[in-house]
Amino acid sequence: MNAGRLASIGGWLRRRAENVAVALLATVFVAFLLQVVFRYLLNLPLGWTLEVSTLAWMWLVLWGAAFIVRPADDISFDILCNVASPRMRRVFDIVSGTALVLLLLVTLPAVVDYVTFMKIERASYIGVRLDVLFSVYVIFVAALVVRFSIRVWRAASGTTHVPAVEASGQTD
Amino acid sequence: MPPDPFTLCLGTIIVLALLGLPVGYGMIAGSLVYLLAAGQDPSIAAEQLLQGLRGSYILLAIPLFIMSAELMNVGSLTNRLLGFCNALVGRFRGGLGHVNVVQSVIFAGMSGSAIADAAGVGRLIIGMMTRDGRYPASYAAAITAASAVIGPIIPPSIPMVLFAVVADASIGYLFLGGAVPGLLMAVALMGVNSLRARQRGFPVEERTPLRAFPGIVARALPPLLMPVILLGGIYGGATTPTEAAAVAAAYALLVSAVVYRDVSLGNVYRAVLASARASASIGVLVGGAMVFNYVITVEQVPRQILALVGADGLSATSFLLMVNVVLLVLGCLLEGITILLVIVPIFVPMAGALGIDMVHFGVIVVVNLMIGLITPPYGLLLFVVANISRAPLLSVIRDLLPFLAVMIGALAFITFVPEAVLWLPRALGYGG
Repeated sequence: MNAGRLASIGGWLRRRAENVAVALLATVFVAFLLQVVFRYLLNLPLGWTLEVSTLAWMWLVLWGAAFIVRPADDISFDILCNVASPRMRRVFDIVSGTALVLLLLVTLPAVVDYVTFMKIERASYIGVRLDVLFSVYVIFVAALVVRFSIRVWRAASGTTHVPAVEASGQTD
Repeated sequence: MPPDPFTLCLGTIIVLALLGLPVGYGMIAGSLVYLLAAGQDPSIAAEQLLQGLRGSYILLAIPLFIMSAELMNVGSLTNRLLGFCNALVGRFRGGLGHVNVVQSVIFAGMSGSAIADAAGVGRLIIGMMTRDGRYPASYAAAITAASAVIGPIIPPSIPMVLFAVVADASIGYLFLGGAVPGLLMAVALMGVNSLRARQRGFPVEERTPLRAFPGIVARALPPLLMPVILLGGIYGGATTPTEAAAVAAAYALLVSAVVYRDVSLGNVYRAVLASARASASIGVLVGGAMVFNYVITVEQVPRQILALVGADGLSATSFLLMVNVVLLVLGCLLEGITILLVIVPIFVPMAGALGIDMVHFGVIVVVNLMIGLITPPYGLLLFVVANISRAPLLSVIRDLLPFLAVMIGALAFITFVPEAVLWLPRALGYGG
């Protein structure tokens, strides 16, 4: 498979991930509005709206951090990186990325255990099992491992960018 | 002797952050190191983050306020509002700097979060200021961060809601108590801006003729009505701040799409996507703080600090001074909500015992913590504005220092002159 084809698949996947994030934020918003309308205008308080919006917010944060937040959007501390030489910055990326990936991998089994254990509980109004709802954390960790492994690999091999990420159809 | 788990945790966070790892991931990594070193179940990190985000009704205001700002941005609402501010104060030297502060005061009436202010409206005004290189990006970022600090001091305010919860104080009077200090700080910031503008020769905006004013006010009326609707809702006891945030977003969408008809579906999609992206990057930071918060609570860090500073036998004034110093120092290192929820509860009973008024104390604490958002090295707002303006953090900090100085001056003033805070609540029936 050539690089161009890989890039177009990557771009397609990223746009679908963006669709999901937009749907999640829209869910937070609409559920909350419904709550306001039903409580104040119709005097008919709903319980599930608050649950849906907090769960959608939880998903939005972790899904978004996993797939749609670009490196430039990340909130990081850039004082040292700005004064470091490109060579030093690559060392920084390798050290910090390796540390994060190792810590996430070492603790992953315990996290998977916790998430699968939560099948004993269900969300109170919508009745969905918590292991299903919490699975987004495993997705988040897996995506971070992949993302930072790529960052370490690129820094180590000296490639500055890979087309799959560049050709993601960003418009803004 | 092996280093203790908490030292390892703190060391990991500091080193990873310095190496440029996103701060939220650094806090998660440091907390994982702590859990492993202390022999605790590492899944506690996942549990804290998931349950924290899921249980944070108040935090929902963040994505909703960001979205309302983005939606106003897509339509012409914010431009109309900025046009109004511009007609008002743009004629003075450093005009857009003044516009920045005045819009913060107006927007403070709609948003409860400084981060949301900076990420939403701040993005717009930084764009306006740096267009064609009129202002240095670092100055635009610095004044945006400084003026965003005012947001949660003028009601509505999420930090004040949190304080009311931990101190069992009246939220209505706390909100009123923040009004005068907030306006005072706005005036102080505009003073600094005038001074800097004269020194550095910042541009002046075109003077607006008096006869154009009615038109500009009419154009800006829908966005100007927004704070009225929101504060009316909250003060009338009708809506909670988070609900008000949802109403704000709906109002922005309605006005842009139905009244002005200047947004397309594609624009709305892109605005929601940009909001989702901003919400997620801020949410991960808050999530990381929640995990780290667990470590701090387990280690009883607040108690150790108290023992360290020796808080016995103080007068009310020296107690307030000590609280201010401790909070300012902590604010350089920790995120405000963490301090508010973990450390402030220890001070509250002591303040009560010393006869300090809770509304006064609450306003001092919130002003202090908001200043903490812009104190280097760990000021959340600094990261946000540096990120938006793409200016290096170090030059943003340099341009921020004079603003920081007057804000600390304002903090000292309200600490030693309680009447500055308590005058308005008392005039409206507060008995304290």
